[in-house]
Amino acid sequence: MPLRAKAIPEPGDITLLLHEWSQGEPAASERLFEVVYPHLRKIAGAIFRGERPESLLQPTSVVNELFLKLVRQRSLRFEDREHFYSLSARLMRRILVDQARSDKRLKRSAGALVPLTDDLAWSGSSPEETIHLDRLLEELEQIDARKCRMVELRFFLGFSPEETAVLLNTSKRTIDRDLRFVRAWLEERLSST
Amino acid sequence: MNDDAQHWETLQKLFHLAEDLPDRDVDDLLAEFCDDPALRPRARALILTARAAAARAPANAEESSRERIGPYTLLRRLGAGGIGTVYLVERLVGGAVQRAALKMLSRSAAGPFFTERFAREQYILASLQHPNITRMLDAGESADGQPYLVMEYVDGVHLDHFCDAHNLGVADRLDLFLEICEAIAYAHRNLIVHLDLKPSNVLVTSSDGTIKVLDFGTSKLIQPDSLLTTTVMATPAYASPEQLLNEPVTTLCDIYALGAILYELLSGQRPNQDTSVAVLIERSMKEVAPLPITQAITLQAALDRGLTITRLQSLLSGDLSTIVAKCLNPRPKDRYVTVDELMADLRRYRAGRPILARPQTTTYRLGKFVRRNRKLVSFATVALIALLATSSYAIWRQEQAFRAGERALKMQTFMARLFQLANARYLAKPNATVPELLQLGVRVLPDFITDAGDLRAARLSLAESMTEDGDFQHAQPVYAQVIAEAKASRDIGSEAEAAAMGSNNADELGDEKLALALSDEAMSLLHSSQVTPSVRVKAKVFYASIRDNVDFGQEGNTRLLEEAAAESRQLPERERAFALGRLGGHLAQHGQLKEAESVMNEVIAIYGREPYAICDQAEDYGTIGYIRGAEGDLPGSLAFYRKSHDGLVACFGADSEQALEMQVHMVVTMLKLKQAPEAVSLLEASLPAWRRSVGSTSALADPLIYLTRAYLDVGNYAAAEPRAKELVEIQQKAGIGPKTYRMGVSQLVWAQALTGEGRYKEALPHATSAAAALRLLGHPSASQKKNAATAEALLADLRAAAASRTPVKLVVPPPDR
Repeated sequence: MPLRAKAIPEPGDITLLLHEWSQGEPAASERLFEVVYPHLRKIAGAIFRGERPESLLQPTSVVNELFLKLVRQRSLRFEDREHFYSLSARLMRRILVDQARSDKRLKRSAGALVPLTDDLAWSGSSPEETIHLDRLLEELEQIDARKCRMVELRFFLGFSPEETAVLLNTSKRTIDRDLRFVRAWLEERLSST
Repeated sequence: MNDDAQHWETLQKLFHLAEDLPDRDVDDLLAEFCDDPALRPRARALILTARAAAARAPANAEESSRERIGPYTLLRRLGAGGIGTVYLVERLVGGAVQRAALKMLSRSAAGPFFTERFAREQYILASLQHPNITRMLDAGESADGQPYLVMEYVDGVHLDHFCDAHNLGVADRLDLFLEICEAIAYAHRNLIVHLDLKPSNVLVTSSDGTIKVLDFGTSKLIQPDSLLTTTVMATPAYASPEQLLNEPVTTLCDIYALGAILYELLSGQRPNQDTSVAVLIERSMKEVAPLPITQAITLQAALDRGLTITRLQSLLSGDLSTIVAKCLNPRPKDRYVTVDELMADLRRYRAGRPILARPQTTTYRLGKFVRRNRKLVSFATVALIALLATSSYAIWRQEQAFRAGERALKMQTFMARLFQLANARYLAKPNATVPELLQLGVRVLPDFITDAGDLRAARLSLAESMTEDGDFQHAQPVYAQVIAEAKASRDIGSEAEAAAMGSNNADELGDEKLALALSDEAMSLLHSSQVTPSVRVKAKVFYASIRDNVDFGQEGNTRLLEEAAAESRQLPERERAFALGRLGGHLAQHGQLKEAESVMNEVIAIYGREPYAICDQAEDYGTIGYIRGAEGDLPGSLAFYRKSHDGLVACFGADSEQALEMQVHMVVTMLKLKQAPEAVSLLEASLPAWRRSVGSTSALADPLIYLTRAYLDVGNYAAAEPRAKELVEIQQKAGIGPKTYRMGVSQLVWAQALTGEGRYKEALPHATSAAAALRLLGHPSASQKKNAATAEALLADLRAAAASRTPVKLVVPPPDR
């Protein structure tokens, strides 16, 4: 099956929604989810079906792919990058959780520790843990939204620390430092509850 | 846990404080820095969790206990590639042990019907019988449903390791590369592409050093139409732009990968060094070519090839660089069409014959970008991209000062926005010039940058770009603004930089008084630690240069320039070359030729390592030409003047003031070397540009007098005469007195031209005024004396001729300057 997205949303739609989203318009963000979600999901499905090949099959490339398609169609401008990637990272998180929810119904898996390693968040974690992690991230979002964004970009979309730094308009050092803390916080919460 | 939210900042602070401490000190730290005893256990828990996680070595879940797969016994893991892990295996075939390499594929990569597809493709793969290609032997599925491929096992080392371990030189590396090309060409003839060529897929056998290309045919077996076929299959660093963009793949992808391999074999670096996939994709989309190979060379690479860095540089520049660039062209259709063509060009190079590939010029690359994005890129933007060439250096320097990445990023965003604003509609003009863009930048800057310090830095950067671009008029008020604001907020670093750069700008503008005042101000601030070493050096250099021009304090200037040159040793090479170049020029100007030459030699050595600083080079080559001339080495002098002239033409254009002036130096030397015919053709060609540039002012006297002399030298008196006439007339119009040396010499050449034509009677009054003017000199130099003597002799001859009607023998002395 070709995985190319067939029905890309109307040009203009996305730009407009993205703009509203970047202005902090929550309703717009929901609608934008609806527009982009199926495409990301379709592409991401290929990854979930199998084992993730080492280092190469990055969701980064997948998201880039979609982004470039939208740019080529003039539905998006290059300047929309930051918002688009932040949004996609969050979307990936949602896809992951959806996936975990449906998996949970299918099978009960003996889980290892949730690995917030340099690898991606979903590789090797059990559905329960994924859902648990998602809940903790919601909590983190309330306490420190920026760090939540960081985790999403870094561990759900697989951006390198450098790329995450560029997208969040900060330095790699800050990203590394903040992530060390957040990782410890998440792990501690995961293991203590 | 709501408590965490309340103590969020404190928890982070404690966590980071504890990071570098040994375990036993954590409690002390908490006791000392955590006032709330209730919070301590929480902080300790976080700190210990991080330690425990770090202590847990990342267990490799991939390493499984599989002993057998199908009929194969696993011996050991050979490595992991893009689509799976490779094992050394053996199996019993008819009682004999056969070794092979087995590659486990992930299910997503293999896709459904993998084994069926293999059966179908097998006869094609089996047909690949080539000594440099490993054979595909078998495929199947393991008991737990994992697909695998079995290939001929090669006991060897990776190509790049082999080359470096044996210190192979460029020629040997090319031989090996041609062997790879043979294999690829053969496969392409059989309609099979590789799509994942890279050094680690090429082995050199331990037994006899044969090249073996691995993994042929893998691409054919991967699930078609999936994302994996293109974007993900290849190793990003060697993947062609069309693979990265998930566009149709062809044999041209392999040509690109071959280019990438050759690039790395020759230079030691990958074409897109250390670049993330996201950036690679972006570059592919914008059709950005990799850095030229000559700019990727490292010292280590030179050592690995048994060469000096300069030697490697010169080996790789020219044809090899062109061949590699053609393979790596972002547009498939601009690459070599076949591997055979690539090999043919490499063999032509080896045989010392001209290659067919044409070098890509900067303009060509620019043009291509524009062609593809015609709708996005207005004409104004073209000017902007050209601007990057002039201004990016100043901005880069500014970015260095910015340190923090955020600020640099803001600047980039601003630059990007500026490019958009500067389109035709915003400026209401079809073509925005570089100066217009920079002025626009100064105007809109506050909309983008709010922090006062950043704003100053950015303004300063734009002003420096204006100076580099030659728009001194508009730059000056910007410097003034920065100085005023920096003063008000006690930002001594910015004030010093703006004053130093502003003094140079004022000097270029011809505002001597302002230049002196600003360079004074800059010097007075150097005691502050806020002033960067780079600014310190520039302040001193400009201070001395400005005083050199107004002719005072020469000894102090020498000392300052020497200080600046010494301090510049800690700066980037380009800045060092700038300081040294100014010192050399100063020394040469004051007759210290030996010292000047040794300084300039150092400058040349730097440019040997940084060949792209062409505009700076040009100026310094001119200085060296001057030194050589002053030392009496005229051919050497001419050679450097020519080099300088070439650079100035490339930088500022053939008609620029700088290039025209350098041409005069060349011509003077040519005349001394008796190469008058070339002098004539150069000056005749540039005379229209001179007229456009200076009009009919006395500045035109320079080219005119040397042109006249050149005509006299070649004996073309008829052409010399009107030039001489114009020479005298423009100077008379400019108010230059009849008794000056210049006028004397001008009258002399006119008289000589007329005499040559046999118009003795007309020549006589000009010879008379020439002799009269030249006779008056107080302390004449040797050449002035010679000119005076020539005038007297000519006058005497002309008088004699008038009396006796005998022919006059012309004496034309070499030009002085």
